[in-house]
Amino acid sequence: MSNKNNKNTVDLSLRQFIKDLGCVTGGAALLGTMPWLQSFTPAAAEEIKKEKARVALIGTGSRGLYHIHNLFLIPHAEIVALCDDYAPNLKAAAELVPKARTYTDYRKLLEAKDIDGVIISSPLNWHAPMVLDSLAAGKHVFCEKAMADSFQACKDIYDAYQETDKVLYFCMQRMFDEKYIKGMQMIHSGLIGEVVGCRMHWFRNHNWRRPVPSPELERKINWRLYWESSQGLMTELASHQLEVCNWATGLNPQSVMGMGDIVYWKDGREVYDSVSLVYRYSNHVKITYESLISNKFNGMEDEILGKEGTMHLASGVYYMEDEKIGKSGIEQLLNQIGNKVFTAIPAAGPSWRPETRKEYQAHNILKGKFDVNDGFSMIGVDNDGSDAILDAFCQACITGEKGKDIVEEAYSATTQCLLGNQAMAERREIFFPEEYKIPYMKF
Amino acid sequence: MLEATSRYIAEEKVFHGFIPRIMGTRFDILLAGVSSALGESCWALTVTELQRLDKILNRFDATSEVSRLNGNAFKKPFAVSREFWDILNDCKKYHQMTSGIFDVTLKDFSLVKFHEETKSVSFSISDLSLDFGGYAKGYALEKIKGILKKQNIGHAFINFGNSSIMGIGKHPYGNGWKVNINNPFHPEKVLGEFTLKNAVLTTSGNTPDYTEHIIHPFSGKRNNEKKCICVITNNACDGEVLSTSLIASHQDKQKIITKFEPAKIIEYKFVN
Repeated sequence: MSNKNNKNTVDLSLRQFIKDLGCVTGGAALLGTMPWLQSFTPAAAEEIKKEKARVALIGTGSRGLYHIHNLFLIPHAEIVALCDDYAPNLKAAAELVPKARTYTDYRKLLEAKDIDGVIISSPLNWHAPMVLDSLAAGKHVFCEKAMADSFQACKDIYDAYQETDKVLYFCMQRMFDEKYIKGMQMIHSGLIGEVVGCRMHWFRNHNWRRPVPSPELERKINWRLYWESSQGLMTELASHQLEVCNWATGLNPQSVMGMGDIVYWKDGREVYDSVSLVYRYSNHVKITYESLISNKFNGMEDEILGKEGTMHLASGVYYMEDEKIGKSGIEQLLNQIGNKVFTAIPAAGPSWRPETRKEYQAHNILKGKFDVNDGFSMIGVDNDGSDAILDAFCQACITGEKGKDIVEEAYSATTQCLLGNQAMAERREIFFPEEYKIPYMKF
Repeated sequence: MLEATSRYIAEEKVFHGFIPRIMGTRFDILLAGVSSALGESCWALTVTELQRLDKILNRFDATSEVSRLNGNAFKKPFAVSREFWDILNDCKKYHQMTSGIFDVTLKDFSLVKFHEETKSVSFSISDLSLDFGGYAKGYALEKIKGILKKQNIGHAFINFGNSSIMGIGKHPYGNGWKVNINNPFHPEKVLGEFTLKNAVLTTSGNTPDYTEHIIHPFSGKRNNEKKCICVITNNACDGEVLSTSLIASHQDKQKIITKFEPAKIIEYKFVN
């Protein structure tokens, strides 16, 4: 939240960015594969600029507060109510938004008529009841990822969504992150060739705990660490990354094998602090997924391997196979001009051939400066798409336009996370259950 | 083709366009003293033109016109597009100007039969294919020169895979565009410096990891000498053909050179 002063411009810049992407040759067709972005344009922002989405926050812990800070910078959003059943969290939020009404029971909040949409940032086990109750109460809903804590809960939400005319968003923020959008466009245009593998990892060196004022609050505050309220590293971290794999391949994995253990943080927690899994698509492409929270050397990366190149979406960098390092001299020439200098650049030589690999050279996905998430924050970082997806939701609260593919992507990613947990629990290869396949999923 | 990218540096009014791979190599263009809009429009035309030419001349693309010609011309005459017909005739002209050294068949150009009435081409033997490696970049550069002229862009620097570099007008702070050639076997060693002003520098030679790609058409022998030849010409096609021919030729260099408009030619030989 450090650079909140320029959030608005960042947000508008994403809208402009999307508009520009649609203008390049073939861009419209490629953007057509990201239909959730189609309404996120500068023109749409202009249309709703005199209106306000009246939103309420259910859950005002760290992530809820993060959303509040983002909402302050969304001109078409107004926070009218706050709800949390943990008094210190509610108090912290109320101090930020003194004019908002406060609730300790979300069902009471849902009765209020002056609320267009709710933003749910609760422990995972509360997602399904809160989403379903909110939709039933006629509210538009924005819910944190993952979708829910079981296959059936995900399916219940998905089914309810088919019946409702309300908007439902899950915070799959990578879908609104410029690096990912542009990177995916590059992947789908064939830049790195056929996708042959996905390597995803998320490493931290932190106990994943929050301080607990008194012991009886342990499970309430550290809900992430217990199976009754959390699905561990898979839903909290892997959900974003598995979504990226599906986005890149256009498929959903058919099966998964894996192992999960508590390697280091033997402090009474239940969920694994170390997971290693292999997901397999029908074309035999595999995702290797690894997360460990007792060593942060490797940080976080979403790596898509192509026959012709490698995309590091989290870092916003790609590398080409068989690319000979050798400067074209242009960078030097540009620097020279910038410094008002005129000297020779080393450029001439026999034909430069891409087939003669020496090393890999990093190329930025985006021009100019951009933000990179090192993966270490437990709350969220600036400009990772979380603000933009919330902005899009607030826009949708006004227009009533459903966000295309967002629920489906959340469903696909979350169910794969749950499948992974099942594989680790049962120590065998688990196939995606037929009864939970939805038409959107391609296997 | 891979993703084309571009950027505009407003303070210097400089536009840079880049294609990581086209016609088997990479392409960089720098336009100086242009507005962002002019840069963008010129770049769009350039990308379209390069893609179009790639579709004619890239033999590694199975659907290109040259690939279709290579695959079909032995069975019966293959009708070619007007532009490709002109290109083939241009290559025929260069074949004659270089006493047969410049040869897109890399074998025997007389095996290519031209059928004027139908604008079609046939091969006398099955084992023949055309390779425009020593021509296409020059042809493309001339086309781009035409685009720049039409767009009234007076100052540009184009690096087409290092081996073909065109300087038009001048550097914002100089009287032309200066480039160095470095020893491909010892990249830290500068061999020479050239200033290009409305001229093209074309370089042919071997590199440490790409040797013996130059074939003498008469003997069929591969040339693995450690040398390179730099040619500065006004016309990019002339430059391509001259440098390709001179690196392949052992004798008669002077005879070839006199057929072309005056050009600056420098040959570098490396001991190691």
